[in-house]
Amino acid sequence: MPPSKRPEFAIRKTRTRFLGLTMDECIQAFFGGNALVAVIVLGLITVFLFREGSGFFKQNQSNLVVYRTAGLEYVDHLKRQEENHTALTRYLFDLRVRMFKHITEVEGASLAEANQRLMAFDDYSYDFGDTIEPLRGAVYDLSELVTATKTRMLVNEDRLVERQQLRDAGSTGAAAAVETQTIDLVAARQPLMAFKPTYGQLNEQFAVSMRSALAAEAPTMPTEELAARFTRFNELVEQYIDGFPAIEAELAAWDPNRPIPTWKAWTSFITGERWLTASFWQDLYGVLPLLTGSLMVSMVALFIAVPLGVGAAIYVNQLASVREQNIIKPCIEFISAIPSVVLGFFGIAVLGQAIRIISQWDFLSWVPGFPVIERLNALTAGVLLALIAVPTIFTLAEDALQNVPRAFKEASFALGATKLQTIIRIIIPAALSGIISAVLLGFGRVVGETMVVLLCAGNRIAIPDFTEGIAAFTQPVHTMTGIIAQEMGEVVQGGIHYRALFVVGIFLFFIALFINFLAQKIVQRYRISIG
Amino acid sequence: MKTTDRHIYSLRPSFRRRAEGAVVWVLRIATLIILVAGFSVFGDIIFKGARTVFQTSFPFVNTAFLTEAPKTLYVFEHEGESFEMADDDFRAFRTGLEEEAAAAGGPAPVLKTKSYVYSAGGIFPNIVGTILLVIGSMTIALTLGVASAIYLNEYAKQGPTVRFIRLSILNLAGVPSIVFGLFGFGMFVIYFGWNVSLLAGWFTLAFMVLPVVITASEEALKAVPKGFREGSLALGATKWQTIRKAVLPYAAPGILTSSILGIARVAGETAPIMFTAAYVVRDKLPWEVERAVDFLFQGVMALPYHIYVVSSKIPQNEYSERVQYGTAFVFLGIVALIAATSIVLRNRLRSRYRW
Repeated sequence: MPPSKRPEFAIRKTRTRFLGLTMDECIQAFFGGNALVAVIVLGLITVFLFREGSGFFKQNQSNLVVYRTAGLEYVDHLKRQEENHTALTRYLFDLRVRMFKHITEVEGASLAEANQRLMAFDDYSYDFGDTIEPLRGAVYDLSELVTATKTRMLVNEDRLVERQQLRDAGSTGAAAAVETQTIDLVAARQPLMAFKPTYGQLNEQFAVSMRSALAAEAPTMPTEELAARFTRFNELVEQYIDGFPAIEAELAAWDPNRPIPTWKAWTSFITGERWLTASFWQDLYGVLPLLTGSLMVSMVALFIAVPLGVGAAIYVNQLASVREQNIIKPCIEFISAIPSVVLGFFGIAVLGQAIRIISQWDFLSWVPGFPVIERLNALTAGVLLALIAVPTIFTLAEDALQNVPRAFKEASFALGATKLQTIIRIIIPAALSGIISAVLLGFGRVVGETMVVLLCAGNRIAIPDFTEGIAAFTQPVHTMTGIIAQEMGEVVQGGIHYRALFVVGIFLFFIALFINFLAQKIVQRYRISIG
Repeated sequence: MKTTDRHIYSLRPSFRRRAEGAVVWVLRIATLIILVAGFSVFGDIIFKGARTVFQTSFPFVNTAFLTEAPKTLYVFEHEGESFEMADDDFRAFRTGLEEEAAAAGGPAPVLKTKSYVYSAGGIFPNIVGTILLVIGSMTIALTLGVASAIYLNEYAKQGPTVRFIRLSILNLAGVPSIVFGLFGFGMFVIYFGWNVSLLAGWFTLAFMVLPVVITASEEALKAVPKGFREGSLALGATKWQTIRKAVLPYAAPGILTSSILGIARVAGETAPIMFTAAYVVRDKLPWEVERAVDFLFQGVMALPYHIYVVSSKIPQNEYSERVQYGTAFVFLGIVALIAATSIVLRNRLRSRYRW
């Protein structure tokens, strides 16, 4: 018998191939391709943020160079001096208001009578106010001059860009036709330099005239407190006059050709106290007021949301009955579904007004900042943001409490501890890392929130007056997210303002990444090992 | 003696016990405050918005509000009566008056009107725009997100690279939505030259929820026990067969809930569409385009952006309040419905699969 044929196995199926790949490999490639696209696009976020934002610092530097070379910086020193004088006259005005109040309310005089009695004081304060006039005139003339120089420089720059663009496009003829002028900066700055020596004399006269205004027959103050204020005013004026040499020195040292280092463009962004755009004087891009605003709003939100969120998490996880849990948890999750723009609208329509009315109640007048002046302020926005932060904090903190091993609790009970003792001494310490990361993520959520702050924070770009203490929280602020949403629609694409907004975006991006990273690290580092 | 009437093991009142009771109450009140705050927002908007959206006579729903475009409201007095009219009605009314006057040979009556922008008509284009945005972006986000999650969890070799990718995705989930808006503006609107368009909005929103979808889908896939896969593979199934028959059916509920939560997020966000997809006002409805391609490259009106516009860009008064609350009511209703579906679905499905 010949050796039988080898038994034939049924597996003969040739696999269908597509581009040399089996079906399974095709599917894998499909999934892999999708994953690749997702990862690449998410990576592109950073690329595009940087692509648009990167030119900012260079532009900011040239912005600052123009500021210096055109002489705006020079005039700003003088302007500051002028502003300080205005602050002094405001002090006098404030004093008048107080005197008026005293005369009408305490002494019970009629309005006309009060005005009559304050006439001498008015003359005195007008005389003092007038002393600024020579300086003001000089500042006005110089401002006109430097703004003109700046405009010429900017126009020239635009022309240069235009010419370059035409040249790049290949039309040399049109490029040559674009007129540019050489600006004789030295000549343009001549009046500034010429002002330097006369400034000293001007200041001397200014000081003399102020002192003589002070020495003029001082009005009598009705109360001791007001008299003390008046003395304080005299001191302030003396301090102001003492400050003159410093300004003179600054002006003397001012050199338009001193180069502006690159780091200045960075520091002026990070530590700049003013965000001024579309101004006829000088655009400044300082992120500090926005950062302060964001932080203040977040602080208010966390101040409310942390106790509530963590408290509710402890209650629901440890103390509530199962039925309560089944009702409360979905409800809080439901709150997190409220879109932020709806909350913002609620703030405008209801909460702002409510806070104002509540702040006017007499028995709450001891609260700093009450009654609030503006309906929309950091407090209003913060209260609403708390409602956004609460679900995040609650859910994550509740998870953290849930993850505490059951044995911990049982052991504690077995040792005779009460429920409260167990919670405070065992459960919370064990879940602390999770709770802290919940708070951090809540903070991240609040800092990145846009619509609520855009609608309810009041949108005033200024660092609140912290001399008022906690009352600063009742002032309107502007935030980093808010400024992007508000100004992005109106900027020239590729301009410095546009790029500045992208840099703020990058800043936010990194804040968010840092917070997330920190939260994860805390959880990993301090996780209790079970076993 | 007083203590005799108490059982020996019964609780004895003590300071500690009272303190404990007080702490429990403090925590309970904290929880209550949250719930009250949340429901007062809901209540206010539902209560005041219902007045715009519903009416007392048949068909009980204000159909005009739901089916018309926003219009300008004209308020005026004529012959002792006060009228409130949308701009098209008002024009017809005025022409009627003028014709009447011309027929009678007298001068046309002068109407002293006050106009309130957006305060008449309805919000139909906004609803349509929001629905379009949600459908498009969720299609993109789910395709990319679920596929990426399957790849990362089932196919990719678990090593430092995948760990790094996973970590980056997790971190991106916390990035503020306005940053995604900036990114979409820089990439789609400017670099790709799509301008303010539906397409740019789709991609911006899709990439905003993508990290959430990937993370949540991966969680759902991870929750499927390893034994399922091993059993299937041991029976000779291919990888894809295993995934299709032994993994996806059990991970589907989790993926579904997360994607519905993603929908709620996409529908609720305003910041990313502000400068990528939303128009303040547009006369045409999205399907009224000349060429099919134009459909993708048109801006749309959207509910959240409309709320922003009517609550911050126009003065507050009784007329604007109607449209504000009405829009907020409809919007909140839609979002809450989606979120509620997701929560209910999750609680239902969580108990179905247990292993």
